[in-house]
Amino acid sequence: MNSAAAVATDTGAITVRGVSKWFGSGDGALQVLDNISLTIPSQSVVAIIGSSGCGKSTLLNIISGLVTPERGDVILNGVPAREFSDWRSISYMFQEDRLLPWRTALRNVEFSLEAGSMLRSERETRAREALKLVGLESFADAFPYQLSGGMRSRVALARSLVQEPCILLMDEPFSRLDALTRAQMHEELLRIQQLKKMTIVFVTHDVEEAVVLADNVVVMAPRPGRIREQVAITLPRPRDATEPVTAQQAHHLKSLI
Amino acid sequence: MPEVLESRIHAPTAARGLRYGVVLQRLGLVAFIVIVWWLLALRVPHYVLPGPARVWEALTLISDSGTLWQDLGITLGRVATGFVLATLIGLPLGIIFGASRRLGEFFEPIIPVMNTVSSAIWATFAIIWFGVSNATTVFVVFMTAMPLIITNVWQGTRTVNADFIELAHVLRMPAWKVMWKIYLPTILPYFFSGARLAFGFGWRVSLVAETLGSSSGVGYRLRQAADLIQTDQVFAWTLTLVVMMAILEMGILRPLENYLFRWKKEAEQ
Ligand SMILES: Nc1ncnc2c1ncn2[C@@H]1O[C@H](COP(=O)(O)OP(=O)(O)O)[C@@H](O)[C@H]1O
Ligand SMILES: [Mg+2]
Repeated sequence: MNSAAAVATDTGAITVRGVSKWFGSGDGALQVLDNISLTIPSQSVVAIIGSSGCGKSTLLNIISGLVTPERGDVILNGVPAREFSDWRSISYMFQEDRLLPWRTALRNVEFSLEAGSMLRSERETRAREALKLVGLESFADAFPYQLSGGMRSRVALARSLVQEPCILLMDEPFSRLDALTRAQMHEELLRIQQLKKMTIVFVTHDVEEAVVLADNVVVMAPRPGRIREQVAITLPRPRDATEPVTAQQAHHLKSLI
Repeated sequence: MPEVLESRIHAPTAARGLRYGVVLQRLGLVAFIVIVWWLLALRVPHYVLPGPARVWEALTLISDSGTLWQDLGITLGRVATGFVLATLIGLPLGIIFGASRRLGEFFEPIIPVMNTVSSAIWATFAIIWFGVSNATTVFVVFMTAMPLIITNVWQGTRTVNADFIELAHVLRMPAWKVMWKIYLPTILPYFFSGARLAFGFGWRVSLVAETLGSSSGVGYRLRQAADLIQTDQVFAWTLTLVVMMAILEMGILRPLENYLFRWKKEAEQ
């Protein structure tokens, strides 16, 4: 057990080692990821940026265990993904909101807690708190079709947070929010991250967002997807997207894509 | 903007005024039909087309003697039994055929064949196998309703969103919960339209079956009345059936559907 703990500190929350992924087989096989290696320290916030189609979603799918890579492996909290069992401590917010249309906002948030055997009343209490966190407590009884795109992604965010995960994976989580709400969500997310000591990995096409949120930015290059550069963001927090230093950092990142 | 949305959510979905308008229209239609019927009946012998008053008399006659309620109950019981059996077998089979591509492909040709077999043929077989008994009608309803339910549920399983399955997968949800929480709600609207179709067909074929192989029930009474050229009683029975179907449809099925599928966009309904 001691050695496992030691390994855990070495490999951070997530380690990706030499991962390559192909889709299809034979001559038509398309290589989507090429030899990706990445260590994500515990309680850090990491952004992944890169042009569309360069394999960012696929990389998150691999970390979440949805997709198995042809080569390489993933280590979660020091445990190889094959032997990892605590999947419910990992939460994945997909690129699409994936709200179940037949459930209200509240019941959609509860869905994350329904895999186990938690009591209905406790589920509901926690789901209400999560909705409050994203500012939608008064929309608990609304069905997805009654919500705007931005509200729907906030419900999806609440559904990811309600699990109180140690690792939160997010695929373009805020792309459908207006600038003001997005800034609010950024603040809220960082607050929760501090509070719950979460590790966050998120994909974004918004470099300003990456600079405001992340400790580390991974820049990917396309065809096949590989890591072009990793940039540490050391600006003091809280960061403001409108400040010149932030804009400068963002500009630098943009030039790398 | 949120306020606007909120008021939309808490507002009643259907406008009341509109609904009363529809009710008035329907009543007008009924009155129109009764008047045309009455005018026609004035010029024709009563054993060809009995007038409204005569049919009403026949209706009170069979109602007072108790046969109306008894036979209606018998027929309804048979239809319901056949229908419930068809659901109990058709729903799981539809899900299994939908979930397993191999089984689905293997059994696929059977369904259209079953759908094209006339209910008169099922009735004939049923009389050979079960004689004059409840089972004959139940069997015919069952054989007619089951393929309809299977087909619809099967179609429903094809529309299950792979993204939702993936979502459940990430949460490591056990398979039975995925069935219950994702498959079932997706299939439900399809099942419902299949069940409604099956129930309607079941009613119709049950009458055919009862005229051929039964000594009770509405179908049997219809034939009896026809044999005795009691046209007014034939009309009375027919009227009862029409009213009952209307009550089932508007009083039970429609409200149930509106409640169950309230999550669908208003535009779709
Ligand atoms: N399930 C799949 N089967 C085949 N090709 C896929 C699949 N998923 C993704 N791809 C392909 O892999 C590439 C990377 O996709 P994705 O990871 O979604 O990119 P990104 O999220 O960076 O835009 C794209 O060319 C896409 O078409
Ligand atoms: Mg993507």
